[in-house]
Amino acid sequence: MIRVEHLTKDYPMAGGTVRALHEVSFEIPTGSLAAIMGQSGSGKTTLLNLLGGLDGPTAGRYWLNGRDVSDFGVVEWSRERNRTIGFVFQAFNLLPSMSALGNVELPLVYRRVAPRQRRQRAQAVLETMGLANRSHHRPTELSGGQQQRVAIARALVGDPPLLLADEPTGNLDAETGQEILDLLAALHRQGRTIVIVTHSAEVAARCEVVLQMRDGRMLPATAGADGGVAHDLG
Amino acid sequence: MTWADSLRTAWAGMWSSKLRALLTMLGVIIGVAAVITLVAIGNGASQAVASRIETLGTNVLFVTPGPGTPFTTRQVAYIRDNTPVARVVVPLLNSGGQLSVGTSTLPAPVVGTTPGYQALGAIHLAAGRFLAPADITFNRDAVVLGANVSQALFGAGNPVGAHVSLLGQRFTVVGVLQPVGQGPGVSQDNSVFIPLPVAQFLLSTQNLSAVLVGASSPTAASQAQDLLTNLYTNRFGSASSVTVASEDQVLATLSATRATFTNLLAGTALISLVVGGIGIMNIMLVSVTERTREIGVRRAVGAVPEDVVLQFLLEAMVMSLTGGALGVGVGLVLVHLAPLILKTPAVFTPSAVVLAFVFSTLVGLVFGMYPAVKASHLHPIDALRHSG
Repeated sequence: MIRVEHLTKDYPMAGGTVRALHEVSFEIPTGSLAAIMGQSGSGKTTLLNLLGGLDGPTAGRYWLNGRDVSDFGVVEWSRERNRTIGFVFQAFNLLPSMSALGNVELPLVYRRVAPRQRRQRAQAVLETMGLANRSHHRPTELSGGQQQRVAIARALVGDPPLLLADEPTGNLDAETGQEILDLLAALHRQGRTIVIVTHSAEVAARCEVVLQMRDGRMLPATAGADGGVAHDLG
Repeated sequence: MTWADSLRTAWAGMWSSKLRALLTMLGVIIGVAAVITLVAIGNGASQAVASRIETLGTNVLFVTPGPGTPFTTRQVAYIRDNTPVARVVVPLLNSGGQLSVGTSTLPAPVVGTTPGYQALGAIHLAAGRFLAPADITFNRDAVVLGANVSQALFGAGNPVGAHVSLLGQRFTVVGVLQPVGQGPGVSQDNSVFIPLPVAQFLLSTQNLSAVLVGASSPTAASQAQDLLTNLYTNRFGSASSVTVASEDQVLATLSATRATFTNLLAGTALISLVVGGIGIMNIMLVSVTERTREIGVRRAVGAVPEDVVLQFLLEAMVMSLTGGALGVGVGLVLVHLAPLILKTPAVFTPSAVVLAFVFSTLVGLVFGMYPAVKASHLHPIDALRHSG
């Protein structure tokens, strides 16, 4: 699903550039539940942004879903995110002015799906999240766990093969966090590739592939919870 | 994103902060309403001035005092004595008044004049007679109605002998004029004529609005014009104290003045539209900042920069066009209220609506573009990281 080689990212700063990512190379097979672990400042969020095409690398190659996306432009990436990637954020990032349903519909709006169809589809996904009777609530009227489930529904509505989750349990209490992780694990069992960026060892322990980052470098492969191994190509 | 979805998003964006949108639109509402109202008042004013001038024939000169020049009834004799080529010399006192018969009322230009007016050759009677020397001598409250006035107040009937109330006085209708048709301004069809002394008494003035000098040929008119111009320039020491001009000249000056006047008013109003546009730009910039995170989310789920441009540009345009539509409504109300409140005629022009709409569209487009483009240039990561 994901293969990167010598991925490097420099940020221009006052008084020189800061290298956030040092020639990172790894592979995440299709259907994995993978964690990218590391302390804050280790470069894990930078890596996630590059994987999601929200930012471009300074150097290196990137294959997503079998295609070389290294040289994708802004418009190509927008389409790729819309079709291939679902995002789950730590802060949920739901639009406060819209109902849960409206938020979930959003990716389909940019896919030019007709209003009736996308409403049906969004409602169906909300139902699988156990939020059928919350679809007309505003995000502020929902609990944190419910908001994150709406966000996951939004990530899933376009049926993308890859889910990128950035600290999905970071803003939730332990119990709700577990529920969200259970949900992601269930989605993984249905065959979706899921990449979770986290600093939490507990979260990482539930993943079959764990990539450790430190100071912008990928550490040698580590065994995950059920013995899976990340392929370190570096 | 489809156009329908973009429009829906733009509308929802505006609707989510209704008060703010309304306040933002206020500039455009006022601007558009001002364009429509001021253009209408401009047209109304210039038409009222032009009303008595046309259809008087080519050999007629207008002797008109400048502001502050004393110009009383004595000028009639003065001009007659000094202008041998003049065939007829007629004083005019122009005013406006409300005519009423029973319950029906009608505002109309009121002309105080003498029987000589008929000798200028521009009016033809449909019924009754024109003002007679005895009306002047005995200060009779006699009135001659223009064709449209008669039609409006009495229908097809013959009003001669009927009574109308005007300037707080009861007048007897002595005659009705034949229609002369609508010229570039309000024609004498809409005017009423009363004896000069009566008009001067009711309006408490000794002054005249103008003196008309009829000559028997264009050559004689030209001679008289030179003569009178010299006479009044010498007498008052300035060429602008009293203007002597032929009907064509007066009309040309008037239409030029009218155009300048109307353009000036429209220009003032358009400036307020631009100010309204700046208000829209200001609020759109605030809105873009407030919704930075929303922009990031939309980019993350697949919006291309053009989608973001369209969303914010349409929001600005929805605001300016809604403001424009409301402004047209307010303007139409004001055009109807202006004659009642300001006692000034207002003539509605559809082209002012078109002008206002085109301009408010442009305002939305021009002032919405910068915030929209700015929004689309936001980097998705920075946008998502943005707090608040």
